[in-house]
Amino acid sequence: MKIGMVCPYSFDVPGGVQFHVRDLAEHFIAAGHHVSVLAPADDDTPLPPYVVSSGRAVPVRYNGSVARLAFGPVTSARVNRWVDDGDFDVIHLHEPVTPSVSILALWAASAPVVATFHTSNLRSRAMQAAYPLLRPSLEKILGRIAVSEDARRTVTSHLGGDAVVIPNGVNTDVFARAATRPDWVGTRDAPTIGFLGRIDEPRKGLPVLAAAMPAILAARPGTRLLVAGPGDVEAARARLDPATRAATTFLGMVSDAEKASMLASVSAYAAPHTGGESFGIVLVEAMAAGAPIVASDLPAFVRVLGDPPAGVTFRSEDAEDLARVMLSVIGSPAEQARLRTAGRIRAVDFDWSTVARDILAVYETVIYAARVAREDLAAESRRPRLFRPLGRSDT
Amino acid sequence: MSQTGDVLVVVLATLLCVAWYLSYSASRLDRLHARVEGALSALDAQLVRRAEATLELANSGELDPSSSLILASAASESLERHTEHLIDDDPLDGQSFGGREPVESDLSEALSLALSEPVVASLKDHDGVAAAALDRIEAAGVRVQLARRFHNNAVKDVQRVRRKRSVRWFRLAGYAVLPTTVEFDDELPATLRD
Repeated sequence: MKIGMVCPYSFDVPGGVQFHVRDLAEHFIAAGHHVSVLAPADDDTPLPPYVVSSGRAVPVRYNGSVARLAFGPVTSARVNRWVDDGDFDVIHLHEPVTPSVSILALWAASAPVVATFHTSNLRSRAMQAAYPLLRPSLEKILGRIAVSEDARRTVTSHLGGDAVVIPNGVNTDVFARAATRPDWVGTRDAPTIGFLGRIDEPRKGLPVLAAAMPAILAARPGTRLLVAGPGDVEAARARLDPATRAATTFLGMVSDAEKASMLASVSAYAAPHTGGESFGIVLVEAMAAGAPIVASDLPAFVRVLGDPPAGVTFRSEDAEDLARVMLSVIGSPAEQARLRTAGRIRAVDFDWSTVARDILAVYETVIYAARVAREDLAAESRRPRLFRPLGRSDT
Repeated sequence: MSQTGDVLVVVLATLLCVAWYLSYSASRLDRLHARVEGALSALDAQLVRRAEATLELANSGELDPSSSLILASAASESLERHTEHLIDDDPLDGQSFGGREPVESDLSEALSLALSEPVVASLKDHDGVAAAALDRIEAAGVRVQLARRFHNNAVKDVQRVRRKRSVRWFRLAGYAVLPTTVEFDDELPATLRD
């Protein structure tokens, strides 16, 4: 299949959408499809061979943050050329309502169009102002995908209609293959609890975990807490009470391999996030690595854990509840084993192989529908409907 | 004199604009109707695949006879209604589901009832005709869900454009019937998605 993929954000800087596009493209290429990715990038940015640059991106304030976007007549001409030369079976746009190359490609596309919506905080003001202009081209999108329930709700409330939810993919085998590290492995008497994330960002929930630690240490004095993530370690250490400080090791910023090893080793992985998580990719990584999960009951987390849940949850921001739930996990090797197995099974749902298969099913569905629609438009029999004299009654 | 000329130019320009807008709206609407037809035929094709694969599973001899009967009856009902629909001349220009919703809901329900966890596990272990049929039921079932949602989106776009005053006053939709969304239970048996 010849697939054209369009990423509106510049490949000069890392970002969730860019990674998604890159991983998906590489997965399809490995499966034998022909993929071309169009994205803004500086001329001197090294690009993978399958990426075509639409030219330089400029930082623009849009939708509440500064994004590097591309627009204007030169970009527009390059997009048109890419669409014409590509002769794609399907064109897959990411974030189609961002003022960048996706919307330009949507304008130019004659092949069937699939669009993926990533954001869950679309500003309605910008959308509504440009609505009459955008509407007719949005009607060209034959298949809409949302990466989460939140993103889907955004699509539904701003554009009307519906979208199918296909989650972000994770290369779970990287985590599944991770080796344990002896000094991070918990035992019955000295269980280990892992935490990942910026240590000075309260939304990641380290303060909640810190508040729960005294009760945990009182019940299981040998417990160790491993904290991995960037941020001001000294300030974070100073905020802990003395007993917790003694039991805590700050690992600082860790590599992906270390992160995977940590998740594979600990007795329990704590995800005490208090909000702002629309997807919960970190839980998928933890499940793939086989970490028993203790997570706050954010809607996104509950959805990722699935039904029956492949991890245990506590009331978000409730340190007492966290301590209770955490003790039930770190005190029971049987419960840990159960959660490790359940997590590994659940993680497969988010593996790129599963996600790419579902996206391919979307491509096939819209390609079929577009062929029928095209034949239908070409058929002579349709024409008279539009040119029949006015005023005759319907039959 | 030149004033009359000016007025004439303005009137002509306005008329041209109106004419352009009307013909643009008409072809936009025509494309939207074609999109609905394409989406519906994609849904139809996947429903046929799902019913055929179900029939194959029912006839594989690897299920108990009563499950087989339930599945076979639901699947053949779906296939029958499908053929009926094709033979009838289609007054709705390919944009009607012909009231097949209950039949397809029944098939979804029959699949969920018959494909319990132990049944699916044993069929997959055996790895015979039935396991292959299960894979096809799953693949078709996923595509039914996609196609139905994409179809309903297309329908909503048509309905929205046809509510516009210019479309109603100038009867730009001609004789095309207003398409409606297709609603039925297309839930896959939970045991299949692993």
